[in-house]
Amino acid sequence: MLQFISHYTEKYTYLDSVRMALEGGCRWVQLRMKDASIDEMRSVAVEAQRLCKEANATFIIDDNVALVKEIGADGVHLGKKDMPVYEARHILGEGFIIGGTANTFEDVKGLYLSGVDYVGCGPFRFTTTKKGLSPILGLDGYRSIVTRMREENIDIPVVAIGGITAEDIPEILDTGISGIALSGTVLRADEPVEEMRRLIDLEASKAII
Amino acid sequence: MKVIINNKTTETSAKTLFVLAEEMELPQKGVAVAVDNKMIPRAEWESTVLSENMNIVIIKAACGG
Repeated sequence: MLQFISHYTEKYTYLDSVRMALEGGCRWVQLRMKDASIDEMRSVAVEAQRLCKEANATFIIDDNVALVKEIGADGVHLGKKDMPVYEARHILGEGFIIGGTANTFEDVKGLYLSGVDYVGCGPFRFTTTKKGLSPILGLDGYRSIVTRMREENIDIPVVAIGGITAEDIPEILDTGISGIALSGTVLRADEPVEEMRRLIDLEASKAII
Repeated sequence: MKVIINNKTTETSAKTLFVLAEEMELPQKGVAVAVDNKMIPRAEWESTVLSENMNIVIIKAACGG
């Protein structure tokens, strides 16, 4: 299960990145536009949502609960410094996916208790895509979080995030983590669409082994 | 048949993802499902046939809170 998180580079705009991810077969997109104005974000979001609908992809937006509600996106991803989950749930109601960011098992448990639908857990390793990161988790970090989740019967999906490349995917899935969030590794590839396709095939083939 | 839903082995009589979603009373909106690590759009739930030990991940708007 792959989530693509939008980003921009010298070559590609946010919207380009979403378009390429969808073309490569990704069916779960998070629009993240750090430091963008609300008007800029709204216009990109509307277009990204249209592309996702055409592709039957799930479309969620980072942080901006009001925008999610306004345009009827599929959900929101809340970072640690964003709106609390209960508040977002109160505004959005039950018909929206709410994801949260975790760095430790305690974060995961807190998010679970507050009613998130999935958790983005990381960073796996150091990444330049995001500033102000928490300590890195590595494979051992994921193993220990998955074990403790099982012990406490916490059954929400956890998506690994942060500096993940193709080579890491099989090992991360082996820890019991449900999915992978990617951004930089796709956009840095020579052919991002092909890279996305390769990553999705890699993940799907992992399931058969 | 036994399938794995969010890392938990679960018994179901459902033959397709669509029927499983009905059994689990998944809401019409705010749900995303992956089967064997691949996201399956709602439009394909009916044609997605379940098999033994299939790995299903359900992201859904929590009910009740």
